[in-house]
Amino acid sequence: MMKTAIKIDNLTKKFGPKTAVNKVSFEIYDGELFGLLGVNGAGKTTTIRMLTGLSAVTDGDAEIFGHSIKKDLQKVKPIVNVSTQETAVAGNLTVKENLELIANIYGMKKNEMEESIESIVKSLELNEVLSQKAKTLSGGWQRRLSIAMALVTKPKVIFLDEPTLGLDVIARRELWNVVTSLKGKITIILTTHYLEEAEALCDRIAVMAKGNIMALGTAEELKKSVNKTNIEDAFIEIVGGEKK
Amino acid sequence: MRIRAFSSRNIKELLRDPISYIFCLGLPIVMLVVMTIINESIPDMEGAPKIFKIELLTPAMAIFALTFIMLFACIRVSSDRSDAFLTRLYASPMKSSDFIVGYMLPFGIIALAQVVITYVSGEIIALVKGDSLDIVNMLISIPFIIPSMILFISLGLIFGTLFNAKAAPGVNSAIITMAAILGGMWMDIDTLGGSWKTVCSCFPFYHSVKYARYAFNGNFSDLWESFLICSAFAAVIFIASITIFSLKVKSDKK
Repeated sequence: MMKTAIKIDNLTKKFGPKTAVNKVSFEIYDGELFGLLGVNGAGKTTTIRMLTGLSAVTDGDAEIFGHSIKKDLQKVKPIVNVSTQETAVAGNLTVKENLELIANIYGMKKNEMEESIESIVKSLELNEVLSQKAKTLSGGWQRRLSIAMALVTKPKVIFLDEPTLGLDVIARRELWNVVTSLKGKITIILTTHYLEEAEALCDRIAVMAKGNIMALGTAEELKKSVNKTNIEDAFIEIVGGEKK
Repeated sequence: MRIRAFSSRNIKELLRDPISYIFCLGLPIVMLVVMTIINESIPDMEGAPKIFKIELLTPAMAIFALTFIMLFACIRVSSDRSDAFLTRLYASPMKSSDFIVGYMLPFGIIALAQVVITYVSGEIIALVKGDSLDIVNMLISIPFIIPSMILFISLGLIFGTLFNAKAAPGVNSAIITMAAILGGMWMDIDTLGGSWKTVCSCFPFYHSVKYARYAFNGNFSDLWESFLICSAFAAVIFIASITIFSLKVKSDKK
């Protein structure tokens, strides 16, 4: 039986009268690459923001490796990391300094930090830009650095919020390779509204619309559930069904 | 560890920005030179303004230079807030106090270096003119500047927290002008007297410049009133900056 990494129980977020995430419940397994799929405003980013402590929970709760995000957030924070939708790097710091900064903020010891940086630099092929200032990197490289900064702290869970948004097709495919290389080593929650991305990368996918989970399963299961042969048609059917 | 890492990042960001050298070091030194040249052009007669004399101008310039530290502290905070970098840090184990100290400490170190460089520049100008400033008084006066540093850095934090990256520099420019006029950096407020002096004494800038001049010239018996008033302002604004920043972090997480 697979170990549960994240257990979400009736998680709800309201902004005034508007419900952004509506009593969402599901589980994500340890080492799984889990996709949150949905159109803009579906509630994907809000769900991630609550799970990472960036947004207060209105109702419900979630446990990450047994720690409640409502009661034990300070125990959750050291074991998770996030790569936000926008590239979050310190522009005047070099790639290496950015990695050191985050490692130090998460309290890593010097030896552990050096070892982790070496490993991340190797796996994400950052060596050629290691002493380059972050602001001089292209969008694709900055996004890669942003993911490296999320990985350098050796989190048990990493949240990748639309990691390929705004990237060209080459940079996107390179990032796919990076994400694929992490599969099984770490629990990854990836939000995207690129259907082919979710299908290519994710072990399981949750389709969100208007704050609700409309369907959950593997890409194949989602297609079968609505008798469609491609993920785009399946997605439209699943999300469109909600509008009826 | 967290504070040290974040402070180190903030120092690097500031030191690697060439504009910061122009404003934080270049401009005060240029002003010191220009004002000295203007002073040399004024005939040395009774009633001639004394505030451009190097022993009064140098400490005023040191305070004026702190307004640019305020500007850069404000830009740093507002820029961090406007991009996703601060969001990443909000998700990390960093606490509000780590952010506050992590911002205050590096700007305090830079401000201290700036005061020393301004004083050394004043001494060099004095030597070129054939005068000399009292180095012992100069050294003793440096710690007295700390409340003014806290005051201006805290103001920078407040404006950086309240305004976005586009609005913050504009608001700061207004405060820099206000500090220069109300602080009596270019005019002798005590000689002007009257209601203008009353207005100026309601703000911390006047007291900041006044006690800095007293301290720089070794007049330690007269500086305490202005020093204590400025320190009280600094304490209140420092607490306000912590409160405003902490509230903003909470509201960002709503």
